[in-house]
Amino acid sequence: MTALLASEFRRFRSRRLVKVLVGLELLAIVATGVIVFLTQEYALVGLPDVLMGTALVLVSVGWMLGASAIGADWHAGHLTTILTWEPRRGRVLFAKIAAALSGVFVLSLVIQALLGVALAAAAAGAGSTAGADSAWLAESVGVALRAAVLSTIFAGFGFGLASAGRNTAVALGVGFGYLVIVENLVRGLRPQWTPWLLTDNSGLFILGSPIDFPQVGRSTVGAGVYLAAVGAALLLAASVLFRARDVN
Amino acid sequence: MDTVIEVEGLRKEYRRVRGRRTVAVDGLDLAVPPGGVFGFLGPNGAGKTTTIRCLLGLVRPTGGRCRLLGQEPAGLHKVIGRVGSIVESPAMYPRFSARRNLELLGRISGVGRTRVREVLEEVGLAERADDQVKTYSLGMKQRLGIAGALLKDPEILILDEPANGLDPAGIVEVRELMRRLGTQGRTVFVSSHILNEVQQTADRVAILAKGRQVATGPVHEVLTAGHVAGLLVRLDDVPEGLRILGEAGIDATADDGLIRVGLPPAEAARVTRTLADRGLYLTELRADEADLETVFLELTGGASTEGPR
Repeated sequence: MTALLASEFRRFRSRRLVKVLVGLELLAIVATGVIVFLTQEYALVGLPDVLMGTALVLVSVGWMLGASAIGADWHAGHLTTILTWEPRRGRVLFAKIAAALSGVFVLSLVIQALLGVALAAAAAGAGSTAGADSAWLAESVGVALRAAVLSTIFAGFGFGLASAGRNTAVALGVGFGYLVIVENLVRGLRPQWTPWLLTDNSGLFILGSPIDFPQVGRSTVGAGVYLAAVGAALLLAASVLFRARDVN
Repeated sequence: MDTVIEVEGLRKEYRRVRGRRTVAVDGLDLAVPPGGVFGFLGPNGAGKTTTIRCLLGLVRPTGGRCRLLGQEPAGLHKVIGRVGSIVESPAMYPRFSARRNLELLGRISGVGRTRVREVLEEVGLAERADDQVKTYSLGMKQRLGIAGALLKDPEILILDEPANGLDPAGIVEVRELMRRLGTQGRTVFVSSHILNEVQQTADRVAILAKGRQVATGPVHEVLTAGHVAGLLVRLDDVPEGLRILGEAGIDATADDGLIRVGLPPAEAARVTRTLADRGLYLTELRADEADLETVFLELTGGASTEGPR
């Protein structure tokens, strides 16, 4: 199992999509740092807000990486090859899930840490670091952790859908359709169902402010637990399907 | 162990739209003894790949049983380290090098870099081992797949159409590789539609048609089954040759400019002597044996069937 996990971690790390998305994010971080430095107005105390703003990007990247971690393998037939080396499907899927989710979690944290460092350097050089005290640090770390957890949960959504649909595009299409169309329709037509909407719970979880989401009626932790439960259910369903269906 | 592959009444149905079902494998029985090369033949849609997928636990049979090295699919993990396989086109990561692809696979079973280097040399890819797989020809990709199958130094190799996409030189290389592996005490189970290759390589064959086995056994037995061994003689004066052979009590008939003689190949000298004694000299003499292609077409009706393989 350890060897299978190590192999899957290496595969995940070597994926072109991972490299491209990380490269783009690093580019964006450098550009942000330079722009902030040139405008000479940035106050570091606003970092938690910036991290909340980047959460949407991280969640989208997490979704894509989670979906492609299994979707690309289905599409290219690599799963057939892997299963001729390790026929216990549960182990194969678990290793892939572990590699994808932990990879997304670490990447999200690293990206946010780099963004924080870039903004701190820009603020120290040509802005203001006033108010960047221990409470600020705790808040920033809290937001970064929640954003990393949320991107990991969404990577699980993407993985589960791509595994069930055996295609990355299925996961991206279904996800986009559900979040943008279905949830907006539900919000308008069945407002009493809002506590179960992923977007509202995600917003609450990232902002960490139940007061701003009275329609959800949960705490920040409650929203995170609910989202994680949905992700786990999707992964469980994907696992059952993976074990039951033929691999052609 | 008497058999390394054992299939009993294997049946696989695929559901189609509107509840229709396609039967890919229909009560197949198969027993593959250890050692040597076993050819698994059949037209498209005969059920070869489906059978291989069932053996490897990739596809769940609708009925019947199959065992690989004594294990049914549920216990396959106990023996998978002794099994190397290619199922259809081997999938590798196109942007990784051949070496990296094999190292990634090898890590699953603790196969080291030395073994990766050995198999790359064995299939003739050592010089291109560090190039991206996407730059490989189809034949090179196929050889890489074979390298992947050899990586575990397996007791049994299951190769599904390993010569697909290979040029003539590549086909000869694969043939020699299979023969070599088959004589090393391993079992090479190879499905193929290149019958000439199988005839030259395999010790035993099984022929499938519409999901059922229609013939099995050592190659020479399958070739001679239902065929009377004879000789084909070419000479300038066919009517005179027929007359002389007839007078000598040898059964002979004209056949498209040749004389078909009803004697086994071991009695060829009797034919040449009989004709030469009467001043007739033949220009060609060969055994009248059916080749695998002829037998295959006769047994399978000569038509491929559509559907899952």
